[in-house]
Formats: sequence, structure tokens, C-alpha cells
Amino acid sequence: MPEAITATVGWSERSEALLAGKEAAESALRKLSSLKPKLAIVFGSSWFNQPQLLQGIRSVLGQLPLVGQSTAGEIVSRGPISHSCVVLLIASDVLTCSVGLGERVDRAPREAGQQAAYAAVRQFRGGARVGCLLFGEGLVTSYADVVRGIQEILGTSFLIAGGMAGDDLQFAQTYQYFNHRVLSQAVVGVLLGGSIQMGVGIEHGFAPISRPRRITRAHANILYELDQQPAASVYEEYFGPDVVQRMRTDGSTRQGIAYPLGIQPETTDYWLLRNVVSFGEDGSLSCSGEILEGSWLQLMIGNKKLALEAASKAAQQAMQSLNRVGCVLVFDSATRRKLLGFEHAAREIACIREAVGPSTPLVGCYTYGEQAPCSNTTAHERMAVQTGSVLVVALGT
Amino acid sequence: MLMSQLRTVTIYIVLATGTLAALTLALGTAWGFLSLVIIAVLVASLVYLALKAEGARIELAELHRLRAAYDQLDEQAKLIIRTDLELHRSQEELDRRLVSLMSLHRLGRHLQVSLRPEEVFSKLDGATVMNFGFSKGLLGMCASLEDLRAMDWRSLIRFTEPEANQIKAHLVDSGLLKQILSRPAPAMLQAVSTIDQAQRKLLELLGVPMAVVAGVIPHTGPVGCLLLGAERVGSDTETKVDEELVSILTNQLAVAVENSALYEKTWTTQQELERKVQERTRELEKANDELVRLNKAKSDFVSAVSHELRTPLAAIKGYAALLGSGQFGALAKPQGERIAKIEKHSDLLGQLINNLLDIARIESGRVTMERRPIPVKEFVATIEDVVHPQMDAKHLRYVVDVDGITQLVGDSQHLQRVFVNLLSNAIKYTPERGTIRLTLTQEASSVLASVTDTGCGIAPEELPKLFQEFYRANDPVNQQIRGTGLGLALVKRIVEAHHGRISVESQKGKGSTFSVSLPAE
Repeated sequence: MPEAITATVGWSERSEALLAGKEAAESALRKLSSLKPKLAIVFGSSWFNQPQLLQGIRSVLGQLPLVGQSTAGEIVSRGPISHSCVVLLIASDVLTCSVGLGERVDRAPREAGQQAAYAAVRQFRGGARVGCLLFGEGLVTSYADVVRGIQEILGTSFLIAGGMAGDDLQFAQTYQYFNHRVLSQAVVGVLLGGSIQMGVGIEHGFAPISRPRRITRAHANILYELDQQPAASVYEEYFGPDVVQRMRTDGSTRQGIAYPLGIQPETTDYWLLRNVVSFGEDGSLSCSGEILEGSWLQLMIGNKKLALEAASKAAQQAMQSLNRVGCVLVFDSATRRKLLGFEHAAREIACIREAVGPSTPLVGCYTYGEQAPCSNTTAHERMAVQTGSVLVVALGT
Repeated sequence: MLMSQLRTVTIYIVLATGTLAALTLALGTAWGFLSLVIIAVLVASLVYLALKAEGARIELAELHRLRAAYDQLDEQAKLIIRTDLELHRSQEELDRRLVSLMSLHRLGRHLQVSLRPEEVFSKLDGATVMNFGFSKGLLGMCASLEDLRAMDWRSLIRFTEPEANQIKAHLVDSGLLKQILSRPAPAMLQAVSTIDQAQRKLLELLGVPMAVVAGVIPHTGPVGCLLLGAERVGSDTETKVDEELVSILTNQLAVAVENSALYEKTWTTQQELERKVQERTRELEKANDELVRLNKAKSDFVSAVSHELRTPLAAIKGYAALLGSGQFGALAKPQGERIAKIEKHSDLLGQLINNLLDIARIESGRVTMERRPIPVKEFVATIEDVVHPQMDAKHLRYVVDVDGITQLVGDSQHLQRVFVNLLSNAIKYTPERGTIRLTLTQEASSVLASVTDTGCGIAPEELPKLFQEFYRANDPVNQQIRGTGLGLALVKRIVEAHHGRISVESQKGKGSTFSVSLPAE
């Protein structure tokens, strides 16, 4: 008797984009044997020539619905890999799915979210809608608006989970895959339904280290003042002027991503994490997600032990509601990979694998943002997108 | 803090005012007792408030201490963050090195299996370039330093052919390529610090702010040019590490080129050797075929001639016998002696012709050896009958040891000729009263029959030629003994026709042993 959800994974570490795409897709398809896939999820290194990569994959998979994105590193069962292409194929009699695309998230994020959700809903045929997997532009700072747009179509309590695309920590351009198209500044959603279950677990394991400061002035993703002081000066206070100066001149905040900002809304004891994306001339900080004025903010620090515990916990959370797991997707923050380093990043995936079962097909990617409802906060409608977290999405019955 | 102090002062003023009012009231009215009570209450309140104020002051001091500790903790947090930042940087650098070294190791394994220098130059892949911390790469091969324009890009990582060709033209025209190929150490080019116009142009063409250029310069084989470009400029330490890694990489490539060149040379030599061996084998096969053909022609010729000789020889023998019988009149003694010599030599010639014919027949395959069981007892007795008179004439001792073997397998008539021949030779060369021994020994799948004599023996240098046709040992003893030089040649042919082997061991002056090994079944 076939599994309710059968998933296979193929990946390639070849350097030629076309061949890598082809090899990964062929490998996944071969393992699927005679079953017919319903959906392909692709994670590809931004290093590849993206159109060629997708061309290679499509040459094998034909017109199969395909979604995915570029990454800051790819994840397979054996651990993190780089400069590779990973293809997940899902075949199932009980799964119904449809895909949708929203464009220009940089100009109109809310509308892009609506557009993606609406397109997916319109194509969805039969069965109950269970959840939405989201793949989107990783360098946009108003991703919460994208999610809001989707919620306006699917409902505010509808389960939406996913990650934001990466580009191997170059912070230059990320890509989204939608069927035969490679896009930037886009959001791609997959509406999942039928007789399946979608389990989600998100954790970060970071702890506050700095003195709490009140966010006295903020708008959207821009943090202007903390305790009525320019936000950048506070940042400088902790990192030292040299590091901040280097970040300003390089235009790169790579050094700082291991220390996200932790925002604690008044009513919760849960920390939402934000990365500093850039420095404003006026001493403001542009962050990777929305900043809520009036909340408390602290600088966060992580350690390997807590990060590994968080990964296990997220995986366990995701598995809670499932009787039988078909496959697992991991959206892991690029921050965490940097924090964990080469050796512990592999251990983190091992922790997740242990929790979901060693034979469960597992794929994922390192992201610039993770999006999932946080169980511990009531503010998830506004603050559901964060960084520094590991999100585990389990599909099963 | 200021607010707290103001509050305390206000309380003191209110109390003082109250006390003063109460005293005024006590002195000015008859309500003295009541006034005293009020004063007492006021004093008690004053004391209470003073105590309260002291408590507040202590709490305030505690708060100050806590605040200081809190600030200290925050300062420590800053220190922790900065230390952690350094640790992160170190870990990142270590990870980068680790990944780079793993890449080097992986590339090394790939290079090891490169069989041609050209292959080495096409082994640089995108993963290696990325793991080294670069985003683009070019690796070119140049067969000779004399013709740099002939350089050929073998690995293009994130460059198109036209881009690569443009870069090559610039490298050649500006003389940069010559510079790169003249020194093995890599050079770091940075847009912010490079003042050389040619280098700046190169960075522009590469489309990166930082690049490392290095020559792949092996001792033998083609040379190469490696260009790696990075999107961002690293720290001084990173740059140093990059240079070191690129240096290791180019050395590895150079060694691989040398090895593959050596391998290619060895391979080419081996191929040439193989070709020569095959050519020589063909020549030998051809020569052998020719020899076989000639040998057959010789056998045919010998056979034909022998046949032709037999008829006149028979006539000579017949007429000599007639003359010798005296039918044509009595013969004088000298005449009789001459005719006897004619008969004797005719017999010898007849024997020679018969042997020649037999050899020719066996060689041409016209004679098939029967394979039948031969009872050893009868076989040995038959041979003994033939050679017995000769042995007796020389008073030789004849010893036979069959070691329980009851039968041989083969053609009885031909095998009799073999052993009669060997025994006759033994008799000829063994002095009077010597010993001749015929022994049979069972071996794994064969029977070994040996004829041993105590004769004059054979010189070692004569042994290999002994079985050749018409060969007779150059020996004073041999000169006195008559023979055709065909006996042992015929014996060898018969034994080999039985799929057997014949060999000889001899010691000069002590005797010889001829051994014949025949298949037992």
C-alpha cells in the first residue's frame, strides 16, 4: 500500500547550472519510481546561472508545478551543503495543491501577497485548505506586509509558513522560482490541502544580553530611536565604533547578523528577532522586519548549545500534530549557520533528523527570514516574520 | 532622587510648622494638656518620619548600588559581545580555511586521476572557487612560454567565452601574462590600492574589486594562468590567507601537470613499446610461417629425394648381391672384399634414407601414432631380443627395472624404435664390461623411461644440439663410431608425436642418461 505522501529528494553539487538542475531532478524522479509527482520544491544556490538551473530541472520534470528559491546554503538529510541544487518531489493521492505568484514585493508588498494568495486559491480544487508554504524575496524589509496581504485572502488564522530567499550571504539579489520562471522581488505561495496535516515548529534559542531599551521611535522596519537616543549609537555602543564603521563603509552587516535584535512586545514574553540590514544617515537602523514602537528591545546572543536545543524543539513541535510524516522542510536562518559554524551546523540538522526520523525525506535551505506563527505570542498577526530562527515544516497525515 | 529629597524637606517643614503652631497654641490658651498631647503626637510623628526618611535614604543608596551593578553588567555584556564577535570572526575564518582545505583535498583527488596535462587545466570547478572565497575564476593553459597568444582558457567559472577572450587579449597585450608566468607567487590586485593601469583594467574586465592572479609553472609540461576574482575586499588576514591558499592551489596544479605529463610520457612510451612488440611479433610470426613453409618444403624435398634414391639403391644392392653370390664367375678376394663394402655402405645408405623418410613423414603429419596399451613385459623382452647380441659382443651388463609398471600407452612399433635406438647408442658408446640400465618410473600422469650407460659421456656444450638432424658430437670417440646423425632426431620426433618429452643428462667420462617421459593414458 503506497504512503499517503511519498516524497523523494535529489541534489547535485555540479558546477554547471544546467547539468546540476538536471541531475538533481533526475535523481529525485528516479527514486519516485512509477509514482507521479504533484509538486516540486527547489532550493538552489544563488551562485548558479538561475535560468539555466531551472531549465535543467524543467527538462526533466516537464510541466509539473514547481516552486522554490535561491538560498544562503542548502540542506539535505546528511547536513548542510553549498553551491548545490536540491529538488523535493511530492507524490500523493490525498494531497491537493495549487501555486500562486505575487510580484513587485518591493513596491507593493501587500498587493503582492494578495496576488499570490488569490492565484493559488483560484486554482485550488477540492479538499480543505490546510496551510500555505511561502517562498519570497529575501532582501525586502516589508515582508510582514506580504504576509498581511496573504492573510487578507486566506484568513488571519490560516497557517502560513516559509522562508525568505538567500544569496549565499552576498546580500545582492535573491531569486524565486515559479513553474518555468526565475524572478526577483517576488513571493511564491503553495496552497496545500486535502487529507493531509501540516505541522510547524519555530524556535531560535537566542537569549537577551544587553540592557532592555524602549523603542521610542520606529516606523515600519526602520528603528529610529531607543530610549530617545539614535538607534545606531546604541548599536555602536555594543559592537564598538570600528566594527560599525566597517559595516557602514562596506554596506555589509554580515558581522552583525549573529547578534539579532530581540523585540518583546508589551504583552508577551517571547522575543521576536530582527537583523539590522543597513544604517541610515540619520542614525536609524533598517531592520529585516517590522519594528513595533513602544516595545522593549534587547540585543540577543546565541550559543551553540541553545541553538541545537532550539532545533530539536522546533522539530518536535512540527511533529506533534502528525500521525505519519511524509516529508520535512527546514527553513533555517543564515544567522544560525554563521553562529553554529561548519561543524555544529551539521549537528543541528542531525538533531532535526533525529526528531523527525532518519528515513524521513528532509530538505531545506538557509534563509534571510523565517515566517511562521509563533505559538507564544498573540502579536503574530503583525510580527510573524523573523530571523535567527529555525522553522521546521512537516507534511504528513 | 531630587524628587525624593524635596519630599523629605517638605515633610520636615510641615512638621516644624505643626510643632510651632502647637507650642503657640499651648502657651496662648488654657488647653495646655491637650496642647502637650498634640505636641507629643507631633514629636512622635516627627521621629517616625525621620526614621522613614532614613530607610528611604538607605533604599536609595541600595538602588544606586544596583543601578551601578546593572550598568557594570551592561558593560560586561558589551565586552562579551565584542569578544564573541572576535570568536565568531575567528570561527568563520577557520571554517573558511577548513572548507578551502577540504576543497583543495577534493581537487587534489580529482587531479590525481588526470592522465593528460590538458585535463588538469579543466578540473577547476565552481565549488572550489566559491569555497576559496572567490566568486569568479579563469584557468588557462599555454603550451609554451614562447607563444602566449596561444593560451587557451580551460576552466571558465562565471565568465562567458567573449569575456574570457577579452581578458586574454588584455593579459597578452599589456604584458601581464608574461609577468604572471614568470613568477610562481600569486599577486593580489585590489581596485582601491592598485595604481598600475594594466592591473586596474584587468580588474575592470574581471568585474570585481579584488582578484588574485597566479602562474601555474611546472618543471615540465604546459604552463598555466589562474585568475580568481572576489566581490568584496577582505581583511589583511583574509587576503594573506587567500594568497597562501592560491599558492597551494597553483602548486598542486603544477605538480598535477608534471605528474600527468610524466604519465603521458610513460603512457606514450609504453604504447610505442607495445606497438613495437606487436610489430616484432608479427614479423616473427611471418618468419615462423616462412620457416614452417621452408621446413615442409625441405621435408617434401627430402621425402621425394629419398624415394628417388631408394630405387637405384635397391638396384645397386641387388647387383652387388648378385656379383657377391658368384653367379657371374668366381671373384678374386679383393673383388669380394670391395663388393662386401658396397653392400655394407648400401645398407647404411638405405638406413639413412629410411630414417630421413620417417622424419619427413612424422613432420608432415602423415604418420599417426597409435595410442594403445603396451604390456611392458613383452615390450622390454622384444627390445632386449634386438639389442642382446650387441651387448653380448661387448660383455655389457644389462639391468632392467620396471618398478611394477605393467603397461605403456602408445604406438608399440615406433616406441620400440625409440628404445632400440637409445640402447644401441648406449651400447656403441659404452666400453666393454660396462653397464646399461633401462628403468621405468611412474610419475603423476606419465611414465618416465630412462636409458643410462656408463659410457664416455657427452660434453655439456654438445647436449643442446644432440637432437638436431645430422648432428654428431665433435669427439674423437664419436669419430670412430659410425652413424647417420639422424637416430636421435628421429627418436625426438617419435616421442613428441606421442605428446612426450625427451631429455638428456650427461657427465663427461661417467656416462649419460636419456629420459623419455610418455603420457600414462
